[in-house]
Amino acid sequence: MRKPYHMLIVLVLLALIILAGCGGSETGTLQFNANGEDFVRQGFVSKDGWAITFDHVYVTLADVTAYQSDPPYDPHAGGEVEATTQVALDGIHTVDLAEGGEDAPPILVGQVTDAAAGQYNAISWRMVRASEGTTAGYSLVVVGSAEKDGQTISFTIKVEPEYTYTCGEYVGDKRKGMLQKDGAADLEMTFHFDHIFGDTETPLDDDLNVGAPGFEPFVGAAQGGTLDVGMPDLQAQLSAADYQMVVDILPTLGHVGEGHCHCETR
Amino acid sequence: MKWKWLVLPMSLMLLLALTTTASAHGAKIEYTISMAVEIVATYDTGSPMTGGQVTVYAPDDPATPWLEGVCDEEGRFVFTPDPTKPGTWDVQVRQAGHGDMIHIPIGEDVATTGGGGYSTFQIVLMSTCVIWGFVGTALFFSRNRREYAHS
Repeated sequence: MRKPYHMLIVLVLLALIILAGCGGSETGTLQFNANGEDFVRQGFVSKDGWAITFDHVYVTLADVTAYQSDPPYDPHAGGEVEATTQVALDGIHTVDLAEGGEDAPPILVGQVTDAAAGQYNAISWRMVRASEGTTAGYSLVVVGSAEKDGQTISFTIKVEPEYTYTCGEYVGDKRKGMLQKDGAADLEMTFHFDHIFGDTETPLDDDLNVGAPGFEPFVGAAQGGTLDVGMPDLQAQLSAADYQMVVDILPTLGHVGEGHCHCETR
Repeated sequence: MKWKWLVLPMSLMLLLALTTTASAHGAKIEYTISMAVEIVATYDTGSPMTGGQVTVYAPDDPATPWLEGVCDEEGRFVFTPDPTKPGTWDVQVRQAGHGDMIHIPIGEDVATTGGGGYSTFQIVLMSTCVIWGFVGTALFFSRNRREYAHS
């Protein structure tokens, strides 16, 4: 009478061993980077001839989430990401995109060490108002200086609105987000500051420069070579058209490499 | 036996004929039917991404470029995917700091890559079903043995 029970125990153990083998989690480390690109690290000349350098570019990021989306997310269509797997980075992170030297790597915002393996082909994040520190109350703070024809203006531009960026796959030299078991992969939140000031190396009739306010509109709001403004100040001191350009261009800052994102402003 | 005298002249004529064929700059056309994919890359304004850098990724190795090329003046690029690699082919076009990626399903509806896709609940449910299958099988055979023992 004992044999059947022995057989039962053996079969159950066998099943558990098989399941343990099949159910082994395949995970790796997924890193989230933020990148202001060479424009922030090295500076550039605006479309209207101001040589701009950055001391600090603080962005506060929240709800950073990577997706294995199926179908692939289309930022032109917008909407929600349809994901089979998603990985969220906990916490709210304020990072300085200007940190490091001219050739510094992108800023590591955080990482998840037990992310499911697979291809992360979409990412979303919120740019939110910081709740503490020197940037409290602002989602973006840009500190730097602009020089043209011997005139120098030190500027601090503070942005209060919050933005939610939803993006598809990273577009760049190398494909990102391919996470193998026990491996590491990275995703990038890229910010294009040439969209605000324009770029003298791009034709003036290019969409980039047509849509960019440039730096000249900010000059009028400076006092004694210093510009320290938030969005209400800009609304009061810029022309209605220039202010609207600033409002319209801020949602276009967020990219994934060279790929555009869908943005909602709050 | 006179015909033997004809062998040499006929052989020479045949050789001449072959030589003539070989020196006639002949052309040869063969064909295979394949499916080409044409993409057209434009900026948001509708203007073409002339000279845009194109990178094509095959579904079996999405991390390594399968083909690289350049868009023509109208932003067009044509490539012929390998029919032995069905799935989603990804095509990236970049130029002047802007770019986009398109995903083209070709052949069978095969998933490109991706994680396991099973939730914890699904794994537990599947595990329970498998274990119950083994237990049920064991109980079935143990009952039969008991019945045989009693009979």
